[in-house]
Amino acid sequence: MSQLFDALLLLLLISTAITVVRATDLVAAVVKFGLYSLMMCVLWQHRGAPDVAIAEAAVGAGVTSVLFLLTVARTTRVEKP
Amino acid sequence: MRWLGLALVVVAAATLMLGVADLPPHGAPDAPVHTHVGARYLERGVAETGMRNLVTAVLLVYRGFDTFLEVVVIFSALVAVVALPRGRAARPDDGDDRPPAASLTAEGPAQQLVSVSPVVAFVVQLLGPFIAVFALASLYRGHVSPGGGFQSAAIFGALFIAIALVQGRERAALLVPRGARVWLQALGPLSFALIGTVGWILTGAFLGYPADAAAYALREAMVVAVEVGIAVGGAVILAQLFMAMEG
Repeated sequence: MSQLFDALLLLLLISTAITVVRATDLVAAVVKFGLYSLMMCVLWQHRGAPDVAIAEAAVGAGVTSVLFLLTVARTTRVEKP
Repeated sequence: MRWLGLALVVVAAATLMLGVADLPPHGAPDAPVHTHVGARYLERGVAETGMRNLVTAVLLVYRGFDTFLEVVVIFSALVAVVALPRGRAARPDDGDDRPPAASLTAEGPAQQLVSVSPVVAFVVQLLGPFIAVFALASLYRGHVSPGGGFQSAAIFGALFIAIALVQGRERAALLVPRGARVWLQALGPLSFALIGTVGWILTGAFLGYPADAAAYALREAMVVAVEVGIAVGGAVILAQLFMAMEG
């Protein structure tokens, strides 16, 4: 059961990572990346690394999302091919 | 070209999969990572450092010098961002004089700052005190339970950014006293160097901690001082990063 949960989470992580790369709307990419960080945080906690999980939740899902959004606001929102 | 890239990805992924298949099972006691120096940390770490959270013990005691330089790296990141030219970002495709960071729209004329939803503002106000208490707890209890200076810094920094987004940056900036800002943002490296020097005087080794059981209180005070430096310094650095990038 525990292994199944991890496998499911890893599959979700991989698919989220692919959607982040494929997104041309950069704000959508930032939001998806925050989702990725939250799932990563659950995975850290589940694998017994609560110290990393706390940092991942605060930095990965919180601070970097805002910094990415600020960067998008100062450049362009749509990725040019 | 596309097929070449695909082939490269498949080959690299297959190599990685082969490598992963050879790894020992998760948590196996005879895995190399547990038989080397890690075994010593697990067996004697609590007795040698007096910390029940071995992650903090490794970070601050066994790998103290690495952590010291890590704190310096975070400080350098802020220096790099602040050193960037201020003002409006270079946008070759528009020439109007709208304030920076005003809109997230792809095209069209300037859109003023988006007003904050009352739901978001209420949630931040409701959860803010709890988040702050959690950050303090993870700071003060970092050497006995999960958490520590870095986690506390991240939580405090995220809380500051949440407050700045809801209340506006002028009110949030009041949380970091202007006069002390220069010193606070360097508090991580400064406190680490200070405690390292104290350890040098006491034990003869930079970043050394007195090891005998009688000095337990002193050792705990030194650890908490380093953690406070990392937490406050790191949080101020995150807040300053946000302000430098926004303004």
